[in-house]
Amino acid sequence: MTSSPKVDAVELEIIKASLDGIVQEMQNSLFRTGYSTIVRESQDASCAIMNAAGDVVAQHVVLPLHIGSFPACCQAVLREYDDIAEGDAFLINHPYEGGSPHAPDMCVLTPVFANGELIAFCASIAHKSDIGGPVPGSCSGQAKETFNEGLHLPAVRYQRAFERNTEIERIIACNSRTPVLVLGDIRGQLGSSRLGEQRLGELVRKFGKDKALTSFERLLDLARIRMKAAIAEWNDGRYEAERFVDDDGVRLNQPVRIHVIVEKRGDEIVFDFTGSDDQTQGPANIRPPLVQAAIAYCLIALVDPHIFINSGLMRAFSVKTREGSVMNPRFPAPVNTYNPTVHATVEAVFAALVNIVPSKARADGCGSRSIILGGRSTKAGQSYVQYEILGGGGGARASKDGASGTSVNQSNAKIAPIEIIESEFPTRVLRFELIPDSGGAGAFRGGLGIRREYVNLQDARFSIRSTKHIIAPNGAAGGGTGRTGDIVVNPGREDEKRLPTRYADYPLKAADTFNLDTPGGGGLGHALARDPQRVADDVNEGYVTLEAATTSYGVALVRTGRKFEVEPAGTEQLRARLKAAHAS
Amino acid sequence: MAHYRLTVDTGGTFSDFVYVNDDTREVSIAKIPSTPDDPSRAILAGVEELIAKGVTPDEIGFFCHGTTVGTNALLEGKGVRTGLLVTKGFRGIYEVGEQSRPHGPAIFDIMYDKPAMLAPPSRTGEVVERVSFEGEVLLPLDEDALRQTLRELREEDVQSIAICFLFSFLAPQHEQRAREIVEEEIPGCGVSISSEIVPQIREYYRLSTTVINAYLQPILARYIANLDQRLKDAGVTTRQKYIMQSNGGMATFEATAKKAVATVLSGPAGGITASVYACRTTGFQNLITFDMGGTSCDVALIKDGQPSIANRGKVEGRDVALPMIEINTVSAGGGTLAHVDRFGELIVGPQSAGAQPGPACYGRGGTQPTITDCNLVLGYLSPNNFLGGKMRLDAQASQDAINNAVAKPLDMQAQDAAEGVVRIINVKMQEAIKAISTMRGHDLRDFMLLAFGGAGPLHAGPIAAELGMAGVIVPLYPGVYSAMGLVMSDVKHDYVRSRLTALSRADEGDVNAVLEELASQARKDLAEEGFSHDKAEIEYALDMRYAGQGYEITLPCNAPLAPGGLAQLRSAFDEEHRKMFGHTAPQEPVEIISYRVRGIGRVPPVELPKFAPTGAPLAGAIREMRIARFNGASVECPVYQRELLDVGAVFSGPAIVDQLDCTSVIPPGQHVRVDEYRNMIITIGAA
Repeated sequence: MTSSPKVDAVELEIIKASLDGIVQEMQNSLFRTGYSTIVRESQDASCAIMNAAGDVVAQHVVLPLHIGSFPACCQAVLREYDDIAEGDAFLINHPYEGGSPHAPDMCVLTPVFANGELIAFCASIAHKSDIGGPVPGSCSGQAKETFNEGLHLPAVRYQRAFERNTEIERIIACNSRTPVLVLGDIRGQLGSSRLGEQRLGELVRKFGKDKALTSFERLLDLARIRMKAAIAEWNDGRYEAERFVDDDGVRLNQPVRIHVIVEKRGDEIVFDFTGSDDQTQGPANIRPPLVQAAIAYCLIALVDPHIFINSGLMRAFSVKTREGSVMNPRFPAPVNTYNPTVHATVEAVFAALVNIVPSKARADGCGSRSIILGGRSTKAGQSYVQYEILGGGGGARASKDGASGTSVNQSNAKIAPIEIIESEFPTRVLRFELIPDSGGAGAFRGGLGIRREYVNLQDARFSIRSTKHIIAPNGAAGGGTGRTGDIVVNPGREDEKRLPTRYADYPLKAADTFNLDTPGGGGLGHALARDPQRVADDVNEGYVTLEAATTSYGVALVRTGRKFEVEPAGTEQLRARLKAAHAS
Repeated sequence: MAHYRLTVDTGGTFSDFVYVNDDTREVSIAKIPSTPDDPSRAILAGVEELIAKGVTPDEIGFFCHGTTVGTNALLEGKGVRTGLLVTKGFRGIYEVGEQSRPHGPAIFDIMYDKPAMLAPPSRTGEVVERVSFEGEVLLPLDEDALRQTLRELREEDVQSIAICFLFSFLAPQHEQRAREIVEEEIPGCGVSISSEIVPQIREYYRLSTTVINAYLQPILARYIANLDQRLKDAGVTTRQKYIMQSNGGMATFEATAKKAVATVLSGPAGGITASVYACRTTGFQNLITFDMGGTSCDVALIKDGQPSIANRGKVEGRDVALPMIEINTVSAGGGTLAHVDRFGELIVGPQSAGAQPGPACYGRGGTQPTITDCNLVLGYLSPNNFLGGKMRLDAQASQDAINNAVAKPLDMQAQDAAEGVVRIINVKMQEAIKAISTMRGHDLRDFMLLAFGGAGPLHAGPIAAELGMAGVIVPLYPGVYSAMGLVMSDVKHDYVRSRLTALSRADEGDVNAVLEELASQARKDLAEEGFSHDKAEIEYALDMRYAGQGYEITLPCNAPLAPGGLAQLRSAFDEEHRKMFGHTAPQEPVEIISYRVRGIGRVPPVELPKFAPTGAPLAGAIREMRIARFNGASVECPVYQRELLDVGAVFSGPAIVDQLDCTSVIPPGQHVRVDEYRNMIITIGAA
């Protein structure tokens, strides 16, 4: 507890609701004025208000990972500058100096003053369309150093006395394939920050500096206390779990291990990742701010998805990582494809915590993936980049099947409409459906993965950054694994070719087809314990095949009209036989 | 023979009626308990109430109804058994939807699921056919296979079928032919085809809208047929019978029975239409509408007399791609609960006591304090004059509830606690207003807050002051304001067609051709509904974007375009983009994505009565003096009876104004003037 004076409960709530409104307003402003579709449509951007030490006091949640990045970026500014003044603005996108997940995630920070005293920062992080490096979009799955991942800015002063430093802008412009979009987005971020600064100033003038600052501290404290109180109610214990990423993109077929030991005693909880693999050659590494954010993501999910989110939550747990490991790599290890590792981290943490909070058990999901097709359109004669982000099956949950065809964990992108894709790019979609039997079998079934099949109408360069093509999503509590993902060019033809999980710049020819299967979610509980009626329903809905109903679930079905119904005696026999086979 | 307009807005608890005598301009209202099992019973009761006043049924020349039959069926999962036909290989469109989860808590919520499919895969048929992005048939419709599929669906006892094929907005013939085949194979089955419901690009949103229509259409058709029969039986034979739609316009009974999905977000439309009318009578063209009821608060923005319209929205997580009035809803109403949690934090909302048990003061078993209890303890509500005295409020119960749940845990006095709770809920509503105004570049100093709904006028005063708004308007009948709006509506039909058109490669003739095609459909529909040429108006708009952007801006335009019209459009688009997003890209190519036409059938405007001052003294309107709480101080203030306030009356807060359907609170420093329509116009600051 802090020793700060007791804050009036009414004013605290008013300040909290106002902060909520301010970050929402900053976010709206950013979405509205952003130049690139990445900011405006994919909404790959977050806004936050921090105190003078860089703790996030309030954040509008679009992307959960940024909760860890903001403080690290702010601390870099505080380390670098001792003359921060009103009218300043700072830029940073350096994963090592600051806390950006990777170079395209640019952070803009502006300080907020009250009576000459630095009291807060307003900030935003937004993904940039291109910040240089060997491939468009700056994220090469084959990068071996951060030097292959685009332009890196340490904390730099972008504005002084509200005047932009045009030299920095010129450096950025020279290093991006899309300078107009990047500078436009940065200025949009600056506008959003200034708006937050202005509204925060009004709030501080209304309640007085001391009351406002005490409220900030109280809100941080409340978040910590709430989290601690929930943790205290869990069973004590020491649990470990591990998950694997297919490979790092450079050393193929070499899985990357993420390992965690969770020790929970009273209201203390420690996450120890020191047993994770050494840092990777390829870009599968993540920096500690992301590890912290991944843990916070899990704890929020387990404690209360509606909790007021700020850095106070981070004070409720501690983390250990080993320098030189995949969770705490040494500069200049590459980091650009961080998402598969974060998914694996989230899943390892959930798997360990499930022992402590069994009511919130959950199997693993599909992770996330993007495909990029690039080329020069013969129609318009212009270069184009077709960028799609796809989900798949969610893991089964205690008391519920997993969701199908969804984004999971910290990822949350919308799928691209087929009618837009075909209208804009030389591609035709041949198939878009869920994959039967791709959900892991279990008392509760995993969600189904997505199948999209395309025919390429013109030569193009193809890249994919996926996960779980080799290592399947885990089931939980005896549930089966989800089906792995797959990417095959020209399936069924003589020149059929399976690509690795991460691959950059494959040359597709006109009339080549490719099929992308995304993974299904893992199942939860034993498949033979699944309510036979639900298996029949799944068969009737086409989520499970008749064959899998028999072999995986031990359910005998008979056809009545168009529908299958459970045949109880046959089911009993089948299940007895399957159980005996398992036992032997 | 007199001429009456009768409108009814059916709510969960009450059906609100407005009667207007077109000749004398006399307006009266009624509130009759709703009959949810068959809403038309309450409607008939309201018709009979008018007839009981000596009006004959044939004098009712206009009937308009705001209904939640469709919305409720959707929320409660009580639509009909629905099937779906999609292009072969593309079941994933409906199964995956947007793929993402909504921003905020859902991202963390392991248990989150999107709404269940209205047409499950077992009732989904795949149809061999394919159209390209240029509208060319790549694969013809396989009619034999379709018939086989339909025979299977028939065994599923499907009552309504949605059809949504890829690129059907460019080439509707496959959907049209499929509909004919459905009608042959499953006689009597409802059919909704996406190229008619919303011929617009982006397959998932078009499909979702079409499925919702299929799911609701038979229900709404049945309801309307039943209502129509009951009205006829009662002798109401006028052709002018309308239903309110989400776009703020009315549609005839016949049109609504076909396009049920157009009603699902119509709840707030009546109030907004009345607000637009208020722009005329009050002269204030910029309003924030503030409709606070029992569980939620709806706010909307009207700029230059026009409400802002969105082309897409969600109903309980389901996507509807139809024009609708843009509303921001926040969980804040009279029934919103307050308590102090175990960490000492004062939590106000979003939980609500609902209608049952309701606020503690209702004496129906509620023990937790609500916003209504706070308003009672603060002296704003009158224990013995609530709903015109029909319901007594138990002030002691409110006091006890506030003491137990808030005041004691925080070591405060009950009145301080109540005032604190009201301040917190007010801030939440202020943020909701900022979200639709200042966050979009509007300056609230230019806006009046128009308060209605049961609780709006209780809270509007302090909210307008905090937001620095120009003032507050409390209309004459704030408690039946939606029904009031139904009196003032026009018929509005929206037409859309997506056609990607690069501006640089099109000429004015191409654009005019598409717009004219839509307009002639609109004119034809309006003519069939009995609107003569001079009563039919057509509005045109184009959805445009910089090539490759992921979203469009809807830009109104005049058609037909004259030579050079496209160049003008281009610069108008750049300018609108600058206004909305702060920047432009004049060197980038621009494309038209969709063409829009709105057909408006003008209904003869209603003239609300103007009143002349009677000279009644202000003091005569004072019902009592009461102690009420403002800014931490208890003040004795007058309680006026609204119905007794004379035109031209002027007074200042602190004051309370009671009326049958509502109570208004005038805080200190605010000044009331009753205008000739008997609206209360409230200004803030120096009198």
